[in-house]
Amino acid sequence: MAEDIIRVLYLDDEEPNLFSFKAAFRRQFEIHTCVEPHQAVRLLDEHEFHVVLSDQRMPRISGVEFFELIMPDHPDVSRVLVTGYADTDAVVDAINKGQVYRFVSKPWNEEELRNVIEAGYQLNRSRVRNAAQGSEVLAMLEGLASDVTGLVGRLAEGGPDAAADVESALRDLKEKVLQERQRYASWMDKTAQ
Amino acid sequence: MGKSPPYGRVNLPLWVCFLGCVAFFSGCIPHSERTVDALLLESFADPTGFVRPEQVHFKERQLERLTGDRPNLGSTDAAVWIRVSGWQGAPRNARVVLDNPTLDSVDAFILDGTRVLGTVESGAAHGRSSDLIPSFALPLNEAHELWFRVRSSKPILLPFSLTQVDRVEKMRDLRDLAAAVYSGMVLAILIYNMFLAFSTGQRTYFSYIFVVLTVGLVQWSFNGYDRLIWGQYSWMAVNGLVLMGALSGLAALVFARHFLEVRRHTPRWNRLIQVLLGVYGAALISAFVGQPRLAYNLVNLGALSAPAILVLSAVSWRKGNTSALWFLVAWTIFLIAVTMQALRDFGVVASTQMTAAFMPIGTVLEMLLLSFALGDRINVLKRSSDQANAKALAASLENERIVKEQNAELEARVRLRTEDLAKANRGLTNALDDLKGAQDQLIQNEKLASLGQMTAGIAHELNNPINYVQSNATSLRRDLEELIEIVNAHSLALEALSEGSPGAMEMVTSAREKARSLDLGFLIEESRQLIQGILDGADRTAHIVGGLRVFGRMDGDKLVAASLAELLEASITVLGNRARNRARIAVELEEGVPDLWCQSGKLSQVFMNIIVNAVQATESRWPEMEDRVVEVALTGVKDDDGKCEALQVVVRDNGTGMDELTRQRIFDPFYTTKDVGKGTGLGLSIVKGILDDHNAQVVVESETDAGTSFTLTFPLNADASAESEAA
Repeated sequence: MAEDIIRVLYLDDEEPNLFSFKAAFRRQFEIHTCVEPHQAVRLLDEHEFHVVLSDQRMPRISGVEFFELIMPDHPDVSRVLVTGYADTDAVVDAINKGQVYRFVSKPWNEEELRNVIEAGYQLNRSRVRNAAQGSEVLAMLEGLASDVTGLVGRLAEGGPDAAADVESALRDLKEKVLQERQRYASWMDKTAQ
Repeated sequence: MGKSPPYGRVNLPLWVCFLGCVAFFSGCIPHSERTVDALLLESFADPTGFVRPEQVHFKERQLERLTGDRPNLGSTDAAVWIRVSGWQGAPRNARVVLDNPTLDSVDAFILDGTRVLGTVESGAAHGRSSDLIPSFALPLNEAHELWFRVRSSKPILLPFSLTQVDRVEKMRDLRDLAAAVYSGMVLAILIYNMFLAFSTGQRTYFSYIFVVLTVGLVQWSFNGYDRLIWGQYSWMAVNGLVLMGALSGLAALVFARHFLEVRRHTPRWNRLIQVLLGVYGAALISAFVGQPRLAYNLVNLGALSAPAILVLSAVSWRKGNTSALWFLVAWTIFLIAVTMQALRDFGVVASTQMTAAFMPIGTVLEMLLLSFALGDRINVLKRSSDQANAKALAASLENERIVKEQNAELEARVRLRTEDLAKANRGLTNALDDLKGAQDQLIQNEKLASLGQMTAGIAHELNNPINYVQSNATSLRRDLEELIEIVNAHSLALEALSEGSPGAMEMVTSAREKARSLDLGFLIEESRQLIQGILDGADRTAHIVGGLRVFGRMDGDKLVAASLAELLEASITVLGNRARNRARIAVELEEGVPDLWCQSGKLSQVFMNIIVNAVQATESRWPEMEDRVVEVALTGVKDDDGKCEALQVVVRDNGTGMDELTRQRIFDPFYTTKDVGKGTGLGLSIVKGILDDHNAQVVVESETDAGTSFTLTFPLNADASAESEAA
């Protein structure tokens, strides 16, 4: 599941910033940059990104508005707002509307920004894992349900071996449930950490 | 009332005088002087009037005996013949007296059968004062007969008596005295009341004087004294009594009408009075046309006015006319006197001098009482007039008081109102001050807000280049280290090669490998770009800071000579991405225009405000940036000599534009077309204020869905700048 490279998307209306960002972080992360918001949306649709950064002050759309826009389709990606100047309204909107993960002011501190990106990646991973785990548990529960349905069917069939078959099947089932419980517990522990 | 009525006081001596007179009459008027009671009177009437004394002897059969002290034959046109006998044996100085001065003619005859021995003519018609008490000497021969022929328009009352001659004289003297006293009293009353009449000018007084005069004359006539006045005119001598009676009746009625104010208090009685006046008038006419008896009877008929006036005064009194009481009493007395006279004439009451005095006393009393009545009436009138005056005075005082009170109240109210107004004024002034304060505060807030926006813009604008300068520097250092690593590897390999040391080739390979792995070409390119970025960033930073310097102090009022071109550029720069990348901003600045003395910070605020508005207007209209155009132009306005006299800044956009109403109101404070909370509506109001400070003209042209242009004209004349400097 785990991927080695962290994929980052940076949206800013000023190209020198994009270049600067790429120059700074191209060694650790896979950097994609763009000037136009609609390009950014297309890129998000085409590739899986772990972290998205956006400038707040852009001509046609603000960073917060951009995040608001991509939220429904890409809920798991970590959103980081980068801004040269943050007024209170922008901060409030960033948290309430854009559900921004972090707030970074320009000029950025490279080390700090790197940590933010990495943390954002971790958050993204955990969100994705949680989602996968949830669907796994769901699938397992569905499997158990179908097993039980099979047992009921076997009983209804009847026959000399019915009792013995059901008994052995129940034993298998019990084993399976115990295994799953163990796995779930260890996952919970891991998540708690 | 403090003042005592003047007329009442004056009346006191009158009363004293009157009472004295009554006492005098009681003492002095002689009692019955009939010395011979045995006079036998026989009479016959001669309707034709043609019987001569010689013929009466033959009329003895027609003689009828007259009885009583005062035989009354009534009023008749006939001549009455009376034979008087029983005087025989009387003393020589005895006289036959016929004590009735009103009879028109009394002729005495001494007859001896058919022979007339002597004739004595007497009576009112003769107008002789000696006939006031006609007396006749007795015949010398007791066998002769004494006859009288009497003719009169008045009732033929025949109080014959036999009296001694000295008695007759005495009676005459006494009667003269009584008449004189009576006349004196009447005169006194008359004069006194005339005085009053003229002093008061009251109509009633004049009618009263007339009453007194006529009543007095009537009394005179009764006693025959009127002949003293007009005795020489026999017609008057005969008709005086009737005339005076009628006149006194008229006077009494007129006076009563005035005094009792008949028309006011008892209007229905006025008709009766008119009738009675008519009766008296008729009497007068009758007298003048030679019908004395009719006249006399009419006067007697008119005497009904006495009870009528009595009843009238009673009615008037009952109706509240207090003066009528005096009147009532006066007329009662008069009526009593008249009644007594009538009773005496008809022999009901003994005919003595006492009873004869009833009439004059009664009339004097009546006059006096009427005088008092008048005085009282005057007093009442005066009192009511005084009361009315007092009432009027009180009313006017009250009015004055009320007016004063009202004035005071009015003044108080005016004062109160003035105070209220002053208070309200103070309140309004305070409110106005508050409002001004609030407005100032708002303007200040707006300034701070725009300052904040500008700060945010400037911060953003500055932080971006700073960001990539800083970031690029970090990256460049890393790139540089890697490049140094490659260079070092290569230099080591080169050194080894030149020394020819073993493993030099490996070192070369390793160096090449390093350069490949670190992507030398990319590094070089990146480094170049990073350096370029750093240079660009530094350049931009310098540019922005330069623009800020052009602005001068943001809120300063200091006047500086500034280039509008620089200010416009700086404004656009500082606006940064609030203008750039939002619309195509075409700037066209004329070279070589002079600087403008201005408050540069404030003017840049003006330019930024207008430009931002223009950009927003284009954004609202066009979805694509390429379509949005904002033109900013600076030109010099030349005068006729080609000298620059003004600078013109035009900001034109192709945005949504405005309708006329909005265009007219854009500079009004608090007017905004933006949503609530988005704009204060103060931006352009402040702009207008700043432009006014610079004596700049603003012309705004706009058309809906076509665009808007702001044309700002700044005059360059020195006076205006000096003025601004002074301010």
